[in-house]
Amino acid sequence: MTDANFFFDNLPFFIPLIIVELVLMITAIVHIFRHQHYQHGNRWLWLLAVMFIQPFGAIAYFVFGRELE
Amino acid sequence: MKVMWYFTHKEILEAWRKHHLLIIGLIFMIFGIESPLIAKILPDILHSSFGSNLVINIPQPTSVDSWQQFYKNITQMGIYVLAIIFSGFMSQEVSQGTLVNLIAKGLPRFIVVLAKFLVAYLQWCGAILLAFVITWGYTAYYFPDNKSPQPLLGLVPLLIFGLFFTALLLLGSTLAVNNYFGFLFAAGSIIALTILNMWKSVQRWNPVALMTDNLRLVQGTEKLAHISPALMLTLGLTIVLVTLTIIIFNHKRL
Repeated sequence: MTDANFFFDNLPFFIPLIIVELVLMITAIVHIFRHQHYQHGNRWLWLLAVMFIQPFGAIAYFVFGRELE
Repeated sequence: MKVMWYFTHKEILEAWRKHHLLIIGLIFMIFGIESPLIAKILPDILHSSFGSNLVINIPQPTSVDSWQQFYKNITQMGIYVLAIIFSGFMSQEVSQGTLVNLIAKGLPRFIVVLAKFLVAYLQWCGAILLAFVITWGYTAYYFPDNKSPQPLLGLVPLLIFGLFFTALLLLGSTLAVNNYFGFLFAAGSIIALTILNMWKSVQRWNPVALMTDNLRLVQGTEKLAHISPALMLTLGLTIVLVTLTIIIFNHKRL
């Protein structure tokens, strides 16, 4: 089975999965850009973590990175 | 009662503002979709990684595989994600001093403990139910067999286990010196109980049974009555832990 076949065969799984991960990522990125200060780390570190460690980067950001108000 | 309602309301609002509700919802949706997906594609993955010279025959996945993935995801990852998110729910407020005003104005301390417990537990139930409903839907559609006749029965112990786990987190977070102690305390307790599970005589009593026997309950090879000692003990321990937390919090300097 080719990769494309594999992807299209399981589309009913992948479409919602991609949407959910995108929502999580975009929420985190918007939050990162709206804030100047973070509990730990800096803006670039969190942007990289959120974009490349899916989905745990976004959880880590909201728990450990998000500025305390 | 009215005070309890106000404080609970404040807690829910806070969970929303801190984005906790959103991330819990999204993460558990991912778990819900992923479990049947992994069950479905696992034979393909094995084939593509071992090539065609794989001699053993891989059986077609069934609904049991799907539920197995579900319980594995929830009990080995899901509950720790929740634990990390809830970890600072008491210690953070104590260290920031946000409770001082409320308590000085007459908010009873036990209300704080009970409301935090209630709201965390509601989030636990909501998260697990969300993942469950999604997995159930996919499983019913992709694996329409009769090998897992009682999907709901496997979920009951997990929801009751949530009471115990939330109580552990709350106690840990109240004892805490920093925001991660709640997580470490709860995770450490679960590891200790898992080690205890090596002795056969304690298995039926061990709260951990509530998250290891789920698959057999789903398949119908085990009755809920088999783990009723563990269920009772878990409920008893929850009451003890919450009472202990109230006592400790009553004596805590804010």
